[in-house]
Amino acid sequence: MLIYLPIAEMSANVVTLIGMGGLVGFMSGMFGVGGGFLMTPLLIFIGVPPAVAVASEANQIVASSVSGGLAYWQRRAIDIPMGLILMSGGLAGAYSGVQLFKVLRAMGQVDLLISLSYVVFLGVIGALMLRESIQVIIAARRGRPVQARRPGQHSWILRLPFRMRFRRSKLYISVIPPLVIGYFVGTLSAIMGVGGGFIMVPAMIYILRMPTNVVIGTSLFQIIFVTASVTIFHAVENQTVDIVLAALLMIGGVIGAQIGARVGQRLRGEQLRALLALIVLGVGVKLLLDLVNQPDELFSLTRMGTGG
Amino acid sequence: MRALILPCLLACLSLALPTERAQATEFKNVLVTDVSKDQISIRSNYSGETLLLFGAIDTQPYGEADGVVVVLRGPAQNITLRKKNKQFGIWVNGPAYRLGDLPSFYAVASSRPVAELLPSARRAELGIGADVLKASNLDAKVDAEREAIEAFLRLKQQANLFATQSDAVEIIRGKLFRAEINLPAGMPVGRYTTEFFAFKDGALIGYQTGELPVDIVGAGHILHEAAYNMSLLYGIFGVALAVFMGWTVAIIFRRR
Repeated sequence: MLIYLPIAEMSANVVTLIGMGGLVGFMSGMFGVGGGFLMTPLLIFIGVPPAVAVASEANQIVASSVSGGLAYWQRRAIDIPMGLILMSGGLAGAYSGVQLFKVLRAMGQVDLLISLSYVVFLGVIGALMLRESIQVIIAARRGRPVQARRPGQHSWILRLPFRMRFRRSKLYISVIPPLVIGYFVGTLSAIMGVGGGFIMVPAMIYILRMPTNVVIGTSLFQIIFVTASVTIFHAVENQTVDIVLAALLMIGGVIGAQIGARVGQRLRGEQLRALLALIVLGVGVKLLLDLVNQPDELFSLTRMGTGG
Repeated sequence: MRALILPCLLACLSLALPTERAQATEFKNVLVTDVSKDQISIRSNYSGETLLLFGAIDTQPYGEADGVVVVLRGPAQNITLRKKNKQFGIWVNGPAYRLGDLPSFYAVASSRPVAELLPSARRAELGIGADVLKASNLDAKVDAEREAIEAFLRLKQQANLFATQSDAVEIIRGKLFRAEINLPAGMPVGRYTTEFFAFKDGALIGYQTGELPVDIVGAGHILHEAAYNMSLLYGIFGVALAVFMGWTVAIIFRRR
């Protein structure tokens, strides 16, 4: 069954789109990640213009993070002041990301920006995750419990001026580092069509030293607002949000995530992480090969003012 | 063949409909034509369709026509073509060719290959054949630009937006004709024009033209309009929809 996507200006199969949403949702529920970093490349692979893929995927992530964040809200596992500060940085980042996107789009280079960002981030994150989970698996085989690695001292960063007390995180730190982290993740969100949890969560644990029980909830909290603003900024500046596409992905995504979360609870954490790391690296390598190998068609058409 | 045709990319004059030129020629119009639809509506489940273009040919006073040509042309678009080149080991968009206004859709159906019916200079005047379309800003003598024009035609053909079918017009007993043109799912919207030509000994003996609006209708139309004309509201609507869906599903699954 084909459906016409009014902004992507193409027809796509409804079952394929819902299925893709479900698959990525399932994985995101199982691994506890957003899934935008898998969905945006998938959409590009099936022929959605990259600019439309990024903006529409940001819209979908609003739905999945609301769905996931609700549980943390009810468990009071969200540090709201921290979330608001990360969000303020994130909104500024989202705005500058969308502006950069707009400029490069006019120059015909936005596809390159998207691909390169993906290759770099998927490569680095995938490699780090794989290394960490393999170390855990090896250590577990040898029968030694693994100590959660406490990173080196970053305390001078946290002692910068404008300190604030964050009760739920039991921290008294400067607001500058969360603002900067929020800004950085907001920019990535606008360029890559991701929530940015894969950067935000490690940054909160290792740089801000937040306790792990509030990390996921707070990350989801800020992702809701940042992806919502990315959606609106892209809609206004680039007219690239395809609501029909986003809605179909949402249907599959939110349901898949709920099922994935249940399955994920029965699997072992380090093996799950190793698997996720391999998927992340695989997508990164595929995108890298697409950049390095000579494409079949060197030419592409763009219509001035609209299109991808 | 290509070598012969390309120079006339330069020679041909404009994208403007050849209506005036065609009508300026003195002849008794032998064509009576119609199209199976007077508008194309792209609904959310649109998957393309076949358009039937048909009509009658008067055998008086010229006798049987040598051939009939039907052209369906989409609205002009300002096209930029980009070529990838290798920089620092990766393929990136390099030179851009501003092709100017070109038809977004262009289908030619004929009873015989159009090149057999009339010379390319004449075809350029009448706008018959994708090969005689003018890329206003390009000089086809330069190799790189010739390559660009060929790439444009190739990309359009691959997207099923440009088509040339030299046996798609069926002439029945010299008096009736019918042609089918396939409209792809991803056809651009806007005002299309249909043109019908009949030729005898290389001269035009019949000409008709008409308009065929192609529009997105229904919910898709509303969303498309809103996205471009009320983009802030459209964005807020997208977010609201997402919040509603995420919330609803979370609640449904919690209850189980």
